[in-house]
Amino acid sequence: MALTAKFVKTQELLFELRVADVMRRDVITVRPDQTMTELRRILRDHRISGTPVAAGDELVGMITIADLIAFLNSDEEEALIGDKMTANPDSLFSDQLLVHAIQQFDATRFGRFPVLDPRSRKLVGILTKGLIIEGMLRAMEQAFQEEEIRQYRASHIFEDMVAEYKEIYLTYELVGRDFDRAGKASTQMKRNLKRLGIRPDIIHRLAVASYEAEMNTVLYAESGVMEFRIAPEEIVMRLRDRGPGIADVEKAKQPGYSGAPEWVREMGFGAGMGIPNIIKCADRIDLQSTVGVGTTLSVRIFTGAGANRAGDEGGGT
Amino acid sequence: MTLREVVEELSAEVLHGAEEELNGTVATVAAGDLMSDVLTRATIADLLVTGLSNMQTIRTATVAGIKSIVIVRGKPVSPQMIDLAREEDLVLMVTGMKLFEAAGRLWARGLRTGETRA
Ligand SMILES: Nc1ncnc2c1ncn2[C@@H]1O[C@H](COP(=O)(O)OP(=O)(O)OP(=O)(O)O)[C@@H](O)[C@H]1O
Ligand SMILES: [Mg+2]
Repeated sequence: MALTAKFVKTQELLFELRVADVMRRDVITVRPDQTMTELRRILRDHRISGTPVAAGDELVGMITIADLIAFLNSDEEEALIGDKMTANPDSLFSDQLLVHAIQQFDATRFGRFPVLDPRSRKLVGILTKGLIIEGMLRAMEQAFQEEEIRQYRASHIFEDMVAEYKEIYLTYELVGRDFDRAGKASTQMKRNLKRLGIRPDIIHRLAVASYEAEMNTVLYAESGVMEFRIAPEEIVMRLRDRGPGIADVEKAKQPGYSGAPEWVREMGFGAGMGIPNIIKCADRIDLQSTVGVGTTLSVRIFTGAGANRAGDEGGGT
Repeated sequence: MTLREVVEELSAEVLHGAEEELNGTVATVAAGDLMSDVLTRATIADLLVTGLSNMQTIRTATVAGIKSIVIVRGKPVSPQMIDLAREEDLVLMVTGMKLFEAAGRLWARGLRTGETRA
């Protein structure tokens, strides 16, 4: 799966590549007034099988090894490139998406295309299938390396830093009823934890607990601050919100209890499973609430070698 | 069953997801409109089938580790949801079928919840 995910990311990355990113810029060109004998030497010396024909930096044609063979098989002694070339050849623009260029290769079966600047229409490069593959591999490698380096750096942060106490704090501000962003903090946090190299089952428990808590604040309260304290042996999430508070905290912990109004159900919430889910995921929780003031929830999850495996019952309250 | 077969079985329209991703296989399904029910699962489902179509659908799947989503009843899907699906690398599709029919068809094709019954 990880590999497929990477592969798909790569595909998306390819959709961002343009012809200019992978084309070769130092194009070998020939002039229309050069001879076919000269062409033979040029193709051989540069080990290429075709080349644009240019007058100045104006593209006038393409000439390939196939044209040369046809000429050699004829009984002509000598000829000018200008007479044997394909005039007005198909070309690409440097700002074209690479995927479109690839389609053009497929559609025509040509091995190479001259590349023109979209404004000046001057010859600025050449694109071959080989160059496309090279360019794609380069882009892929770069994307993988960036994420790998990030993960490597983050996952070694505790080993790399020298201190008596090592902790990282990450904080998010939550806004009541902001449903475009609701849950964003928790999904970002999930990504952060992955980079930190936290065990996947622990990440899952933290993400679920954090998301349920974040949604409660966005659904029921005015605003909140969600803080994660990441230490070598544990992660503690604390969410303090300003809002109506919960009148009966013990009741709210019961599965199926919900005080959610109808509009909350329409949004996909209000099963009364949020706080029970949090309890299930956590090793320790502490839920305090004052009606009319707000609610504070702390969730502690152990991350050390002996930490609970997924599926183990959490330590509960 | 591959995701492509799911698309065909449900006559679904793929809103985000590359060809290669549709080759991925699915065995387990979470179905429902209440997100906490999805999050309370003990195992990670391959596919979420839901009538809920908002940003929380995508975020819930992300948090739950579910990689593909079918939205039922032809509910409109906002461009922001598609953007988010792209960002989170999820396959997102929509079908005109109701939750009951969509779930029934997938069950008939051998997909299960993946959870042991309590
Ligand atoms: N931060 C909060 N501020 C005020 N009330 C809250 C808060 N969190 C929870 N509640 C109250 O406690 C009830 C139970 O919360 P819980 O998260 O368990 O279930 P739910 O939000 O109703 O449904 P679900 O989480 O399954 O979608 C809520 O319906 C709400 O009335
Ligand atoms: Mg809730």
